[in-house]
Amino acid sequence: MSKTGIFYSFNSTKTAKAAEKIKEAFGPDFNIVPVNAEELTEELFLSFTNLILGVPTWFDGELPNYWDEFVPALEGLNLNGKTIAIFGLGNQVEYPENFGDAVGIMAELVQEIGAKLVGYTSAEGYEYESSKALVDSKFVGLILDQETQPRQSKERIANWVNDLKSQFSW
Amino acid sequence: MTTVPKVFSVKTTPKEILEKWYRLMTLGRAIDEKAPNYLKQAIGWSYHAPYAGHDGIQLAIGQTFEKEIDHIFLYYRDMLTALSCGMTAEEIILNGISKATDPTSGGRHMSNHFAKPDWHIHNVSSLTGNHTLHAVGVARAIKYYDEKAVAFSVQGESSLSEGYVYEAINGASKEKLPVIFCIQDNGYGISVPKKDQTANRKVANNFTGFKNLKIIHCNGKDVFDSMNAMYEAKRHALETGMPVMVQANCIRIHSHSNSDRHELYRSEAERNYVLDYDPLFKYKRMLIRYERFTVEELEKIENETKIQLKEAHKLALKAPDPDPNTYLDFVLPEPYQPQKYIDGTHQETGEKKKLITGLNETLKAEFRNNPDTFMWGQDMANKDKGGIFNVSKGLQQEFGPQRVFNAPIAEDFIVGTANGMSRYDEKIRIVIEGAEFADYFWPAMEQYVDSSHDYWRSNGQFTPNVTIRLASGGYIGGGLYHSQNIEGSLASIPGVRIVYPSFADDAAGLLRTAIRSRGMTMFMEPKALYNDPKAATVIPDDFEVPFGKARIRREGEDLVMITYGNTTHMCLEAAERLSKEGASVEVIDLRSLIPLDKETILNSVKRIGKVMVVHEDKVHSGFGAEITSMIMEEAFEYLDGPVKRIGSTFTPVGFHRSFERMILPNTEKIYNAAKDVLAY
Ligand SMILES: Cc1cc2nc3c(=O)[nH]c(=O)nc-3n(C[C@H](O)[C@H](O)[C@H](O)COP(=O)(O)O)c2cc1C
Ligand SMILES: Cc1ncc(C[n+]2csc(CCOP(=O)(O)OP(=O)(O)O)c2C)c(N)n1
Ligand SMILES: [Mg+2]
Repeated sequence: MSKTGIFYSFNSTKTAKAAEKIKEAFGPDFNIVPVNAEELTEELFLSFTNLILGVPTWFDGELPNYWDEFVPALEGLNLNGKTIAIFGLGNQVEYPENFGDAVGIMAELVQEIGAKLVGYTSAEGYEYESSKALVDSKFVGLILDQETQPRQSKERIANWVNDLKSQFSW
Repeated sequence: MTTVPKVFSVKTTPKEILEKWYRLMTLGRAIDEKAPNYLKQAIGWSYHAPYAGHDGIQLAIGQTFEKEIDHIFLYYRDMLTALSCGMTAEEIILNGISKATDPTSGGRHMSNHFAKPDWHIHNVSSLTGNHTLHAVGVARAIKYYDEKAVAFSVQGESSLSEGYVYEAINGASKEKLPVIFCIQDNGYGISVPKKDQTANRKVANNFTGFKNLKIIHCNGKDVFDSMNAMYEAKRHALETGMPVMVQANCIRIHSHSNSDRHELYRSEAERNYVLDYDPLFKYKRMLIRYERFTVEELEKIENETKIQLKEAHKLALKAPDPDPNTYLDFVLPEPYQPQKYIDGTHQETGEKKKLITGLNETLKAEFRNNPDTFMWGQDMANKDKGGIFNVSKGLQQEFGPQRVFNAPIAEDFIVGTANGMSRYDEKIRIVIEGAEFADYFWPAMEQYVDSSHDYWRSNGQFTPNVTIRLASGGYIGGGLYHSQNIEGSLASIPGVRIVYPSFADDAAGLLRTAIRSRGMTMFMEPKALYNDPKAATVIPDDFEVPFGKARIRREGEDLVMITYGNTTHMCLEAAERLSKEGASVEVIDLRSLIPLDKETILNSVKRIGKVMVVHEDKVHSGFGAEITSMIMEEAFEYLDGPVKRIGSTFTPVGFHRSFERMILPNTEKIYNAAKDVLAY
């Protein structure tokens, strides 16, 4: 079975909780390995075939530091043969101009270096002004808004994980 | 969205450069952290706005600035920018603790205002965003003189709420000027979150509709992203001559300044996450993670920086304090001294010319005489129309639209860009029509007041060489917005000369002196007299009138009337009438209010003993109040009675002619008052 890792900051609060819910949603039959995004290395990153990246948006459309500091390393990698899905926390009420931007930024980065991106979601049910995560009227990952739509997260995660189960090669 | 080429990156940027940046950043933060100690120890630095959290963009702005070529205007939070521009730690501390050798101002200006005018790091106001107009003005000169340079206006995001910042950006866009507006967005203006400033979270996006303006967003907490953004901004401004706005996303790690307590309005969670995002630590982590430096190498630099700061601190403490007895220095620079007409009078005979002709011909003569003269204002030049009153007629045709041109209806812009343009070179002389009518000058008060301080605040290093012309006063049936006199309100502001001629020759002579002088001169034109034959005189071609020299227009023994502007003629008429009744009245035309010719006034007062002070402006707090008090203080024992003031009522000037007659002074009112005074 291919190795599947879920990468997120162990120091984060909301992202870490969402990561646990995602892992739970896969159920015991799938081996999803949590990886601390605060301590990333190129080798660690490359040791997985399926990668789930937890990328919340910070500071009006930026990657959090732990991802941003990994970008120069990432840019030097070849991700051919890797399948990647991205989820990210955001807040559409307070940051409607940059809602979930970090998901879009990360999606573009990994695709440029050869990864296959999966886990696109419908942008319906959100209210915002613009988002870098929106490409061809779909989100290029799963955006969770724990701050203004906390009750929708459970179903969004369930649907997304179902989709990933069929998209990842196991 | 502009994508910016990645010229700098942690993997490829040469090690010496990375090291230089790390030295600057650690030194900057060491001073930023030490600054509050000076206050605790009562040494100084009572105003300190810490920059921590703006490190990436401040480093980058300074690194793209080329001293003595570019021009830069920093704001009060720009300590690292100043260091990155090349200023030393010692210079920063000298400003912080207000020493005589502080390069900004010799201790005159507030702490945390870093400048070095010799390098074109300009001395700026504390008024947020005020210098945006100066950057645009200096860029106009950069373009005119075809220099490969840019002007940087550096400021916080909240300052973009100010109307004059809009005026500046509009001007740069319209005139296509190489200005880089560097906006450091830390999310707050003191305690006010940015959502209370403007609807867009990214204020630069308010300006996306401005033509010719390129907008770049960057992460101001990241050295490389900031360097790439500033590098691209500079390249674009240099290559195209067009303006750029860079908005850098920053965080404010500490309180706004040492008089603010951010615990009162920021949650603990927020205060913690900004610490996690400290740009200096991010840079350090990246240098280590990408194996550009070892921990030991960086620690060595940190230790060397500490020693460097200690040395700077010691030297700065030893520097002399300012001498408070110099407080009267640098209020106004020495004016041009007339060479031929030493006291501003002449005996020329020949054809009389109207006041407007005197102004127009003097402007032309001075523009021929000095190629570095410029003039702009509203309704200044369009084909055959040369100004609303035709004062500037023919100037654009003769001197071209680069030297004589229309300005947008933005009075603050008109004054502010004059200040800015004159920073480019001492030789430049600017004449502006401050507003179409004096009544419309109020929007420019922000720049007027600030410009009045420049010479003093810079310890004599910079003075705006600007003559502000204003068509002023009533008697034209113009009503509330075309009849005001504003000199009484302006006269309490030190640092600007105010002149108000009433005859064509004096108007010509004072204008020549104003244009040739350093410093600011407010040139009031009594518009009712532009074409009035009573103000027409013979004018020698090269006539000059010194500042602060009154002219006795009629000699007398029984009563002296001290006056200026429109009322000079009324006083002369009243004096003529009184002479027929046997009274001999002297009329002094002040010509200059600031500086004031006290000598001529006091000589006449002492000789004659009966005094009237007459002007068109309001009696209430008008300039006559100052003259009268001065006479009381300096010549009380020579007076035969109270000094009588005549002027307009403490009301606006109404539109119907009958209101004008009630409100404004006239010959009849002056005559009647004179009878009372003569009766003492
Ligand atoms: C300073 C700050 C800036 C933010 N900027 C954005 C943003 O631009 N877009 C967005 O969708 N959410 C934004 N958010 C919301 C966060 O994504 C949201 O709080 C998320 O739950 C953070 O997840 P974490 O705590 O696990 O990192 C921002 C939050 C903060 C505190
Ligand atoms: C015209 C004017 N009004 C008010 C002030 C008082 N003041 C000083 S700093 C400041 C906030 C400016 O915030 P911002 O432009 O965002 O810069 P920051 O201090 O956050 O770096 C204010 C309101 C001022 N200096 N000038
Ligand atoms: Mg701010």
